[in-house]
Order: sequence, then structure tokens, then C-alpha cells
Amino acid sequence: MNAPAPHPALPPAGHHLLRMGSYSLLLHRRSAVVALILSLLLIAAATAILAAGDDALTPWKALQATFGQGEALQVFLIQELRLPRLVAGLLSGAALGAAGCLLQTLARNRLATPGVIGIDDGATAFAVASIVAVPTSLAPSALALSGAATAAVLTFALAAGGGARGYRFIVVGIAIGALFGALTNLMLARSDMDAANAAYPWTVGSLNARPADSVLLLGIGLAAGLPLAKLLTRVLSLMRFSDSVAIGLGVRLQRMRLLTLALCVWLTALAVAVVGPVGLIALAAPEMARHLCDRHGVPVFNAALSGALMMIIADWLGRTLLAPIEIPVGIIAAVVGGPYLLWILLRQAPRSST
Amino acid sequence: MPARLSVPKALSYAALCLLFLCVASLLLGAGDIGVLPSLQALLGGNDEDARFIVFELRWVRTELALLVGLALGAAGVLLQAVTRNPLAEPGLLGVSAGASFAVVLAINLGASAASLHMGVAVLGSLVGCVLVLLVTRLRGVGDDPVRLVLAGAAFSGMLGALSSLLLLWDQRTADEMRFWVIGALAGRPLDTLDWSLPGLFAGLTMALLVVRPLAALALGERVASGLGHHPQLARLGTLLTVAILVGTATAAAGPIAFIGLIVPYIARRLVGSDIRRTLGLSMLLGPCVLLLADVISRLLVRPYELPVGVVTAFVGAPILIAVVRNHRLPTL
Repeated sequence: MNAPAPHPALPPAGHHLLRMGSYSLLLHRRSAVVALILSLLLIAAATAILAAGDDALTPWKALQATFGQGEALQVFLIQELRLPRLVAGLLSGAALGAAGCLLQTLARNRLATPGVIGIDDGATAFAVASIVAVPTSLAPSALALSGAATAAVLTFALAAGGGARGYRFIVVGIAIGALFGALTNLMLARSDMDAANAAYPWTVGSLNARPADSVLLLGIGLAAGLPLAKLLTRVLSLMRFSDSVAIGLGVRLQRMRLLTLALCVWLTALAVAVVGPVGLIALAAPEMARHLCDRHGVPVFNAALSGALMMIIADWLGRTLLAPIEIPVGIIAAVVGGPYLLWILLRQAPRSST
Repeated sequence: MPARLSVPKALSYAALCLLFLCVASLLLGAGDIGVLPSLQALLGGNDEDARFIVFELRWVRTELALLVGLALGAAGVLLQAVTRNPLAEPGLLGVSAGASFAVVLAINLGASAASLHMGVAVLGSLVGCVLVLLVTRLRGVGDDPVRLVLAGAAFSGMLGALSSLLLLWDQRTADEMRFWVIGALAGRPLDTLDWSLPGLFAGLTMALLVVRPLAALALGERVASGLGHHPQLARLGTLLTVAILVGTATAAAGPIAFIGLIVPYIARRLVGSDIRRTLGLSMLLGPCVLLLADVISRLLVRPYELPVGVVTAFVGAPILIAVVRNHRLPTL
């Protein structure tokens, strides 16, 4: 008996099927278009930000200088001063956006972002510890990682008894965040003035003169983490259903949860080691991506793009609003994002999630 | 929750504790003076240094701790009663953040008179209180203790960022405020006590006035109006009281979080949840907790000192987790 010839499968509405030999990829059309538009916007914004500044260049000249063409002074200005900062902003924004998207899906609550449940504070506390105690350049990243992991494990372990879902989980996270915040204050109070000043960027969130090693590490981490996150999205979109449905559909729930959480901690910690706790990017970027895609999926990639866009725009605002004083990007994010968080919280119908 | 101790018994235990802690606060410290010389100075010894440290430095500090602890403990109980929420705490709900933002703004605009700080702080905490009231009136949010806390955290975070923005703007303010913003009892100007006492007395008098309506309100709005109270009036009065108390405490010592959570939690454990029983006890327990935290903050990292807000956070955050983990959140 012959098996019937495989029917040329029609993609679901709104999707596009890419085939290459025996591999195929189902592409959500609108998400792809959104990703394209976001990328274009990102490139445009990045170019404009490179060109703008005290010594304004034309965008074209700025692009040339980026690749080493043009006057030596301009090349120095772009390559040594503006570009590292821009790259740090792009990478950390992308990492935070993706991490926020993952955690929101995992907790089935869009308020559950790394910043709200204390992962940021954990990473910050340990990064500050490294500044105060272990002054080597790679220490912040490594220690931020262990701090973030500690905070995440604490929050999940302590909340699990009362149900890992919903708001209880978040308040446990707030308490953990308060603990680590106190720890940070404790170390700042003990250390001498120089160390306290060196640790200051980590306490508010700033992109000013970040260590290049941490940025490089973040780049590598992001390059490894983002594709993995993209791979996880299929399973994650099943995990948005109730646990029993997800298990019925073949999701290995515990393993996937652990993997997602680990990935989220990884991305958040590396980003925090660079930029400090700018948690509200992780809240707003996935929201923006979800609105744009008009779909209740898990738009990790678009969230990363929106996060990067938000981060560099916030940083640019911080530099220009009160110039010559520079407002750290963390403060801009908190001032703009705080009302937004309140709005979500108060508008949301009671007891609903995602 | 059944009462475990009779009120007079609990009150006398708390008073004993308080006395003990006051003496400890006078005897222990980060300075070079040991316990014995301090004791001698306290009992009338002639060592000039010891006398100065005990009577000029530690005495003022202890008095300040008594005042701030009293205000915050009472404010915590009142706020929990009016929002009927065991997680309501002036620091968590953004009332302290409102007060401290107002003070930072005032200093930034050039104010320097200390008494002005208190007025401004009361105004700021009043705004925070009104916001809390509005949020609890919102459908769905008021019934959910945990969401109220989240809204408060968002509000505090925003105001905190605005405060640091102002500090960034003006180096003079920043130097003045850096330690105040964390909350500390050390190094406050000597006249702090003088101008915060009237605020404390006003707040406590009002607290005594609203206790009975609040106790009736705990039985439900209709029962309360049946008993001849005005629910709205009682709520407004309570919020005004909380604003005065928190504003005074914040202007005196900066935003010290978690006292208003720890104290009512212990008080409820000891004598049950009726506010007529807990309020008096909280007024004794508040200074106890704050003094204890202050003594710890002096001894922990000698010869340095910690801001006391750090210690209260280390004690308060586990209690917050304990309350949240408790499967049935007790409704007040």
C-alpha cells in the first residue's frame, strides 16, 4: 500500500512558507514585516545618533567615519567615543527586550519582567560587590551572572509554595529586589568614596564609558542567546496555555521552564553588567513588539529590536535634554516607563494575565 | 486570629523591651567609648568624652528614633486598617516616596528652613496617600492586596527616579541629600526634634480620633454607617493622619521603609487584628524595632555605620515574603 503523495501543505492564513530542500520555515508575514521595519528604523536612529552631538556631522560623513574613512579627528570621534556607546546601548537593549519577553511568557504575566522580580537588583548588587572588592575588568559580568541567578532562584523558590503564577510571585520578587537593593546600599556605605563613585553607574543605569570587555561579552552572549530564544518560542507559545494543555501537547514543562529561566537570567545579567538596572526596557519592549505584530505569540526577536531602539533613543534623550548635564539612561527609562507600568497595572482587568 | 496575649500584658512587655533598647542605644555605638565608660557617664561619671558622646550624640539619636518609630508604627497600622490590606506600608505604597520627592524638590528650589521641610513632606505624603486611596477605589485593584503593592512599587520607582534627576541637576542638593534619601538617624541637625514634635502630636491626636470609626469600618461600610460613623470622612481623616505622621517621620529621618510592615505584623501576632488593640501596642513596638535596627546598624560594620534603612529592609523583606506566602492573605 502506497502512502499518499505528500500534499503540498498550504501555510496558515497570514503566514508564508519558506522551503529549502527538506527544511522549511513558517514565517508569520506581519512579524517579518515588522522586524524589517524595526531594523530599518534602528539603522536610521543609530546613524542619526552617531551624527548628532556637540560636533555634528552629516549622517553620510558619520557612516564613512564609522568605517574609517574621512578626517582623522572625525574617525576618532566616531570610532572611539560614539560607536562604543551606541553598540553598548544596542546590545544591552536587545538583551533586556528579549529577556523580558521570555520571562513574561514564562510567568504568564506581562508585569513579570526581570526588573520587577528582582533579577536586576541581584545582578546589580553583585556587580557593585565586584567593583568594591575585586577591581578587575571582567569581574562585573561574571559576578552579575551569579547575582542574577541567585535572585531568580530565590524568587522562584520562595514563590513556588504560593503558586508561581500571578501577583504573589511578583511581590516575592519585589521583596527579593528590596533585599538586594539593601545589600547594594550596604556595600556603597562601607566602601570609600572612589569605589562608590565607580559603582554609581550600576546603581542608576548608565551607558557612559562602559568597560569594553563587558560589552564584548554581552555581544557574544547575545549572539548565542538570541537564536536559542528564537528556537524556544515554539514551545513557549504552547506554554502560554494551562500546564495540563501544554503537557498534553508534548511540552516537557519543567525542563523548558528551567531552560527559559536560565536564558533569561543569562541575557539580563550580561546586559546589567554593561548598563546597570534599566528594567523598564524589559517591560516596554515586548509590549511594543506584541502590539506591532498584532499577535499573541512570543515575539522574542521583535522585542529585542524594540528594546535596542528604545535604549538608544532613551540614551540620546538623556544626553541632549539637559546638556551639558547627562541624565543616566536608567533615570530616563524610569521616568518614562513608571507611568506606563502604572497604567498597565490599573487598566488591566482583575486577575487576568498575559 | 485569636488574641494570644491580653493587651495590658503585651503593652507592659513592649514597654520593658523599649526601656531596655533605649539603654542599649545609649550604651552601644560605633565610637571609641566602650560600654562601661558609657554606663559610668550615664550614671553621672566625669569622663568628658563619654559624657559628650552619650548625652549629646546618642541621646539625641535615641530620641529621634523614638519619635520616628512611633510615627511610622502608628502610620503603618492606620494605613493597613484603611486599605484593609496587610501589605500596606507607607514605604511600599509610595507615601514615603511622595514625601521625600517633595523635600528634594523643595531643597532644589532653594528652601533651607528645616520647618519648611516638614510642611512640604506632609504635603508630598498627602499626595501619595490620595493616590493610594484612588487606586484602592478602582474596581478590582482594591480587593487585591498584592496589586496595590505593585502599583506602589511602580509609583515609588518613578518618584525615586525623578528625585535622582533633581539631585543630578544640582550638586549642592546632591551632597545634602545623598544619605538622607536612604534613610538614616545619624547626623541629623539638632533642631530636628523641636520642629517634628508638633507634627507628631498632631498626628497622634488625630489617630486617636479615627480609631473608633476605623474599628467600625472593619465590619463593613454598611455596619459602620449603621453605627453612626461616616465611612468617607473616616477614610479621609485616616489618610490625613497617615500623611502627617509619615511626612514628619520622613522629614526627620528620610524614607525608612518596612517599619510600617514589621510593626503591625508583630502586633497582630501578639494581640489579634482589632485596631483598637493593635494601635497602642504598635506605638511602643515601632520605636522598639527602629531602635533595634539602629543599634544593629551601628555595630554591624564598625567603625563605619550603616544607614538604618538598610537594616530595616533586611528584616522587612523576609516578613513581606512571609505575608505573601501565607496562602490565605488575611483580610483586615
